[in-house]
Formats: sequence, C-alpha cells, structure tokens
Amino acid sequence: METTLKVENVTKRYGDFTAVDDISLEVKAGRIFGFLGPNGAGKTTTIRMIVGITLPDEGQIELFGQKMNSTLQDRIGYLPEERGLYKKMTVKEQLRYFAALKGLSQKDADKRIDSWLERMKLGEWKLKKASDLSKGMSQKIQFIATVLHDPELIILDEPFSGLDPVNVEVLLESIAELKANGKTIIFSTHLMETAERLCDDIILINKSRKVIGGTLREIKQSFGKNLIALRCVGGEKVLNDNSLVANIIKHSDEIEITLAENADSQLLLRNLIENGAIITKFEQVEPSLNDIFIDKIMENNG
Amino acid sequence: MGKFLAVVKREYFKIVWTKLFIITTLLAPLGMVAVSLIPLLMFSIKGNAVRLAIVEKDGRFLQRLTENLSTEKQIEKIQKASEDSLKDLNKSQESQLKQTAGQIGGNFALEEYKTDGKTLEQVKSELNQRIVDEQLDAYLITPDNVDKADAKFEFYARNSSDFVSKSVIEDSVNDSVRLERLSKVNISEEKLKEINKKIVFDVKSVDKTGSVKKGNDLGFPIAFGLAFLFYITINIYGSMVMGAVVEEKETKIAEILFSSAKPFQLMLGKLTGVCLAGLTQVGIWISTALALLAYLLVVLKSNGNLIEIPNITPSFILYFFFFFLMGFFLFSTIFALIGSMVTTTQEGGQFMIFIIVILMVGLYSVFPIVRDPNSTFSVIVSLLPFISPITMPIRIFTETPPFWQIGLAIIVNLATITAMVWVTSRVYRVGMLMYGKKATIPEVWKWIWQA
Repeated sequence: METTLKVENVTKRYGDFTAVDDISLEVKAGRIFGFLGPNGAGKTTTIRMIVGITLPDEGQIELFGQKMNSTLQDRIGYLPEERGLYKKMTVKEQLRYFAALKGLSQKDADKRIDSWLERMKLGEWKLKKASDLSKGMSQKIQFIATVLHDPELIILDEPFSGLDPVNVEVLLESIAELKANGKTIIFSTHLMETAERLCDDIILINKSRKVIGGTLREIKQSFGKNLIALRCVGGEKVLNDNSLVANIIKHSDEIEITLAENADSQLLLRNLIENGAIITKFEQVEPSLNDIFIDKIMENNG
Repeated sequence: MGKFLAVVKREYFKIVWTKLFIITTLLAPLGMVAVSLIPLLMFSIKGNAVRLAIVEKDGRFLQRLTENLSTEKQIEKIQKASEDSLKDLNKSQESQLKQTAGQIGGNFALEEYKTDGKTLEQVKSELNQRIVDEQLDAYLITPDNVDKADAKFEFYARNSSDFVSKSVIEDSVNDSVRLERLSKVNISEEKLKEINKKIVFDVKSVDKTGSVKKGNDLGFPIAFGLAFLFYITINIYGSMVMGAVVEEKETKIAEILFSSAKPFQLMLGKLTGVCLAGLTQVGIWISTALALLAYLLVVLKSNGNLIEIPNITPSFILYFFFFFLMGFFLFSTIFALIGSMVTTTQEGGQFMIFIIVILMVGLYSVFPIVRDPNSTFSVIVSLLPFISPITMPIRIFTETPPFWQIGLAIIVNLATITAMVWVTSRVYRVGMLMYGKKATIPEVWKWIWQA
C-alpha cells in the first residue's frame, strides 16, 4: 500500500514548552486516519506542520514521497479547528478566492462550487454574505472550501464540533464518499465514537507524545483479549479458578469476566462445558475506543 | 504568482467595489469645492435693502456715500479683492470671511435726514421711533466737521449684528471721509490712486543651471497640500489594512490562508491590493485637481490675468506618484504589522500614536524644507527612512536636488520597504495563529526569528 504521509521523529518547541515530542506516524493512501488525543495534546501543532504552516524543529515530514514544501500545499485540503469566513464576502466569492489560493482556475471553481453547494443543500445561499449564514451552514461552506480543489489528502481538525446531528450525517456521508474516490483522509477528534466508526488507522497522542498507533483492528484486538461476556447456568467452580479468571463482575443477566494473565479464553470455554454449564452466550468483548482512550490516558498521566 | 494575484485582486476589489469608496472618491473633491463656495454663497444671499438715514447738515456726505455704496463701486472692489486674495492664500479663515463679506456687500436705500434745527436728542428719538415702527433699519449721525481727527460717526441699527452691512458701511464711510479730507487739500481721487499704487515686486528664481524662472507664490500651499494628502490617505488606508488583518484573525481565516499560500505572498498581495486601491483614489483626485487647475488657468488667462503655476512638471508628477506609492506601501506595512500583533482594532489604535508622530515629523518638515531645500536638515530628512517618502517629493518640488540624492532616497525607501515587509510577514505568520491576547514586543521579536 502506498504511503501518503510520513512523519518521522518530529519535535516542535515553543520556548520552553515542547508542543510535539518525537512523534512518528505513517498514513497510507486511501485510508481514513484518526488523530486522537485530549485537548492540548499537540494534535493541531502536528497538523500545522503537516500542512506546512510551521516547520518542525527536529525530524522530517514527507508528503506524496517528497519532503514537505509549499508546492505540495495545493494537494492538501485542510479544515482547521479554528476556522472562519470573510463576513462581508458572498459565499460564491469566498469559495472562488479559497480555490484560487489553491491554484484552481475560476472556470473550474465555478463549476465545482455549484455542484458542491447543491450537494450540501446550500444552493440558494450562493450569493448571500457569510454573515447571513448560520453556524452549521458556515461549517459546510468551510468544508466545501477544503475539498473544492479536489485534494489527494484531506485533513479535518475537529470537523464535527458545533454541528447538529443532521449535518454530522451529511458530513459523514461526504467523508465516506471521498474515501470511496480514493482520497486519503486524516481527521483529528476527541470524539471516540466517531473515530471508531470512521477510522481505519489511529494514533493516540497525549502530552505531546505518541501513546499508541496502528490499525484500529489491531489496537482493539490487542486490548480485547482478556474480557469476556458470559451468560450461563452452572460452572461456578470454573469461574472461581484463579489461574483462569482474574475478576468477575455480575450484571443482571450476564457476567463480565476479566481473564487472568496469559489465560486462554478457549480453555475457559472448554472447562465450562466440561463442568456441565449451560452456555447461552460466550463473547470475547472488544473494549470500545473510548475505554482504550481513557485507560491509556489515565495510565499515561500516572 | 497566481496566488499573489488572487490576493491582490480580492484586496483591491474589496475596497474599490464599495459604496464608501465611490462616494468618498467623488465627494471629497466636491466637498473641498463646497468648503470654499459655501461661505461665498451664503454671503451672497442678501436681505431686503437696508434703509439707512444719513443725518448731516448739508447733502455732501450723502452724495459721496451713495457713490461709494453703488453696485458698480462694489463690483470694482470685489475684483480688486479677489486679486488680492489669490496672492495670499494663507490668510486666516476669519479675515477671509470678513473680506468676502465686505466684497459682496449689501444693497442700500439711502435717505437724507435734515436736522432743520432740531437738537440731536430730538433727532435720535424721532429716528429711533421710526426704527421701532419698521420704517427704517439704521441711521448714521455724521459729525459736523469730518476734518477733525477725532471725528465720530454714530451708527444706530435695529440689527447691529448684520456685520455685512456694518462693515460695508464702515468701509464706505471711511472712504468717503478720506476723499472729503483729501479734497480739502486739493488731492483728487485719481491722484490718490496713483500715489497708492503698489510697487511691482517681481520674484524670480535662479536654478542650478543658472536659468531664471518666474518665482512662485503657490509653492508652499501646494507642497503642504501634497504632504497633507499623503498624511490623510495613509491614515485612511493604513487603518483599512490593519482592519483587514485583524478581521482575518478575528474570523479565524488565517489558518486556512496559511495552508494555501506563503505568508509572504499573502502579505505582499494584501499590501499591493490596498496600495493600488489608494493609488486609484488619489489618482482620481489629483487628475481632477490638475484638470480644474488647467481650466482655472485658461479662465484667468482669458481675463488677462497671468498666474504662473509653479514647476509642476511631468517629471515631478512622476516622482510624486512614485514616492507616494513607496510611502503608502511602507506605512501600510507598519499598519499590517500592528494588525498582526493585536486582537482587535481598538487595541491597534493604541499603537497608532507612533505612526502619527512619524507622519507629523514628515508633515511639518515641509516648513524648513520649503524655506531652505538644500540645508543639511533638508538633505537628512529627505533621506531618512519612513519620513523620506513625504519629504523628498517636497524637495524635488521646491528645488530639484542632485540626482544622486533622489536615487539614494529611492534606494533607502526600497530597502526599508523590503525589510518591513519581511518582518511583517514573519510576525503575521505567527501572530495570526495566536488567538486571544495581544502580543508583547519581546514576543514579537521572538516570532520574527522563529522558524
């Protein structure tokens, strides 16, 4: 699989404060990459270095196989977390302007502006000034500005903040469509549910450092081996076996089991059956990304 | 380059395609014309003829006064005064007003009042009653003997604040008395005119090459006017640049811009766009002024008046525009720098004082420069960064300095601009992404050198 972005040992300091500390990551082409972490973890600083707004103090950034430079900016679409529009400019004029700054000709821009506005159901707002738009509408205009020049890499910093559920769906659909068209998407969020739903790969950073990273599947699996949801009658003897079971939490109709270290879930299942337990549910539970996030951040913060 | 032009285009049309721009461009010259015409118009609105009774023994004084207050005499006066006023444009507003008042004059209905042996008290009470009955507006009591040095004229009027009538009458009485006195010593009016004729004071200037040109009276007003135009436009457009930068910070657009183009491109494009807009406006103003001036010259010439227009040569106009552009660009850059450091335009206002002081120094350097364009002081201020764009054109205008000095001034200005644009785009790049607080000077210093 082709690598779109490679960040290698990047560090960025502001005075005595290290905003990003030795972070490395790789984003593969055509995938959705989740950039996760609590507020102030260094997500935005890292993204600013990726899009070429600031330069790293150490380390290097490679985009589309080249060292990051300003000509590559045209191939990125960036929706910053702090975003706005020129209040007194019409929707059409601003989109034209942003497109021109990305090197798009006015003719091409006009065509795409119309189709995107239709798609976002904002067609009738084309000649309105930005100051007349609602916050949700402005956000959609900003999203259009991000993707108008058909970039190969799209970076969305907290794209869903401030959007109502309907508009979140509209945006999610658009992101899915962009992915289907082969675009690479990086988005940062602290909403784990959205990340879980969208991302192929994630990186979790905290306090300027990388905590974990990899495909969502692998990460969840690596965390999900020792948790089992069980509904059964009998088999108490097996459940009391400390070499297999570390902890039991009894819910109303099922039991949550934490496996002992190095214990095999299949052995537990076999033992239960051999002991005559009647099993109606035996599920190896994957923790939610939210659980992993909280777990890791707590652990990291000591 | 395409991105740079896109920024220029946006910034230019953002200013030029506004009602405000069109209105100010059209109205400013109209406003200036209005300022000079309104007093004239107002004074030309005359009330009803002032009914004036002249109290005297014989009718001689009435005759002279009637002559002096006649329309022909008044018009003659106006013409003479307008020639005078062209000569001293620096006269204060008040004295100009009075002058205009005297020139336009009122119209008068004079009547002779014979005392017929009545006492002064009787005369006064009778005339006062007539004023109360609105049969009369004013009366003038002449002394028996106008030859005396302490001759006193008493003027009674219903409306003593009508200073137009008052000053016209006073002037006329004065003139009449003077003629009266002169005639007593056998000097006629014609003779007096001859005696009073002003000498011809012909000012010529000798330039470096030794050729002699007619001197100019309009030099100073024009020099100061140009410097003032510079001062005003920089303030207006500078505030616009600062507002635009602050808007990008306030609306949080900066980050989108920076992910699309280099801050240097954005800053340079912004400044160029604003400068072109300013140049458009000033260009319209100056060409209007030049056209009016040309028209005025033709009119004056056809009336037989020859007024030499000071050396407004095409090369001076070219120099003026060039230096204007450089100064405009430079100061816009400073405004942009301030805009990048602050979070609101109000905060930016606090820094404005520095710019105003620099501009004031330039503006008031005009006085010593016009007096001695080649003094050490003049040479220094015309080469000083930040002030040079104002002072050098004034020097070129009053007495063209050696070319190496003009060249040096251009180099100094271009170097200052380059340095300022560089510094500003560095600060812009960092400052625009700092939300929420005004930067301190040490912080800004760090931003400049930050990677």
